[in-house]
Amino acid sequence: MELLGVIVGISLKALIFIIGMFLGAAYLTWIERKFAGHIQQRPGPLHVGYHGLLQPIADALKVLTKEDLVPDGVDKFLFYLASLMAFVPAIMILAVVPFGEPFNIFGLEIKPYITDLNIALILALAFGSISIYGVIFAGWASNSKYPMIGGLRKAAVLIGYEVALGFAMVGPIMQAGSFSLKEIVEAQSSYWFIIPNILGFVVILFAILAETGRTPFDVQEAEAELVSGYNTEYTAMKFGLFPLAEWYIATFVLSAIAVILFFGGWQPFPLLGWLPIPGIVWFFIKVFALFMFFLWVHWTLPRYRVDQITELAWKVMLPLALANIFIVALWVIIVG
Amino acid sequence: MAVKIKYLERPKLTNKERILFIDFIKGMQITIKNFFKKTITTAYPYEKLTPPKRFRGTHGHRIKDGKEPPSFKVLEKFLEIKDGESRCVACYMCQQACPVPELFKIEAEQLPNGKKRLKRFDMNLLNCMYCGLCTEACPVDCIIMTDEYETASYTRANCVIHLDDMVERAKDYDKRRFNEPDRIWIDDKERSKLWGQIKWSNN
Repeated sequence: MELLGVIVGISLKALIFIIGMFLGAAYLTWIERKFAGHIQQRPGPLHVGYHGLLQPIADALKVLTKEDLVPDGVDKFLFYLASLMAFVPAIMILAVVPFGEPFNIFGLEIKPYITDLNIALILALAFGSISIYGVIFAGWASNSKYPMIGGLRKAAVLIGYEVALGFAMVGPIMQAGSFSLKEIVEAQSSYWFIIPNILGFVVILFAILAETGRTPFDVQEAEAELVSGYNTEYTAMKFGLFPLAEWYIATFVLSAIAVILFFGGWQPFPLLGWLPIPGIVWFFIKVFALFMFFLWVHWTLPRYRVDQITELAWKVMLPLALANIFIVALWVIIVG
Repeated sequence: MAVKIKYLERPKLTNKERILFIDFIKGMQITIKNFFKKTITTAYPYEKLTPPKRFRGTHGHRIKDGKEPPSFKVLEKFLEIKDGESRCVACYMCQQACPVPELFKIEAEQLPNGKKRLKRFDMNLLNCMYCGLCTEACPVDCIIMTDEYETASYTRANCVIHLDDMVERAKDYDKRRFNEPDRIWIDDKERSKLWGQIKWSNN
């Protein structure tokens, strides 16, 4: 009976997380379009609803009702699998992201996270690496040259940045002494891990930009060169899942992980702890700020060449991540 | 002749620029400044911009209302034109000046009293390139280009304009904008203030 309760509770929570993430991602598209518009001195969506607030719903309906074309000559199995492979792992990372401390409503303890694994960070990294298969499968299965080039470019970029990302995450782990994201947040109650880990944070910023294919590193889409990159041959919702997964869900989830690692998760801002704001709100404020920073970078910078990106990954980011580990090790020895 | 190629050195970054991503920060300053600026777009179907007076939009026919140029006085006696009618003298100058002359369909007839009268003045705007040569050729300042620019239509037939609707269009246009100065440049005074005086040679 207890097992049944746990299963029902977890499935309910997972459902809430997935639906919430879907709706959230839909409205992140609205935020991105508004932000991009205003950066270019135009208002963005304005017509559907108040200031275009219903635009994501209209877009979703449009994408869902469009004709779903599968071109001749594609590898059908991989072609279908690819859109799911890009999307599912991105949302799976949510399982280990803690949004706040457990709280009580009507005597019922509610944990605002699905599970608190002791290997949470490794799981997140693993799912992050799986989502790359979506892009590579899409590039391969499309049987077309532009997706192929896009997929391989993404693979080349990802190999470099996954390594740097993994090493950059070591700093906070060393300080907290745990892989569990919840324990990492709890270890930051006195000061945030950004202080000794500033190099690690820089590496993570670049790695997230590269991993989610946002602009300075958007070689896999490179619309001026590759039509639309790996998703050129996709239509309708299969197409819609790619940007949704990469640009919104992955960026959001990786921002959440970066906030947990470096900015104290749901801990309040320094000197603002007296404000009556619950931890979960602090968490979302931080994640949203980081997300907006990525949008800001995206809509400002031009694209790097592929060789420059991989060069940056191996020659700059990886040594920086290693240096970060060294600095944090000294910090742990000296400060404790 | 062999083409000479000049190779230029790429400007080197200083270490400070390299480490602190100064270029990135400069770019991001510009975008965030733009973010807080007012938008410069127009919500088109709801807000419409008025083009300058010299804008070359759909054609109109000015009417005989006493504001004609002197050349009209000379030609007037050969024509049967009442007040409020198009002042066109059917001279075909517009068609002569037009790069696509077949878009005009102008017909005039001779009345029993010997005077000339305009019967038909059609323009097929599907072929018109809106160059404005017809308005410059007109000796009586009759054919003009108004500031109307919404010329799209569901049928090809609607793209042909006729004498009566051209007269109406010009009437409306003159009522709104006849007295507006016909220049888009700023005054000489302001210009000399901005960019200095011009100097003629002393002979």
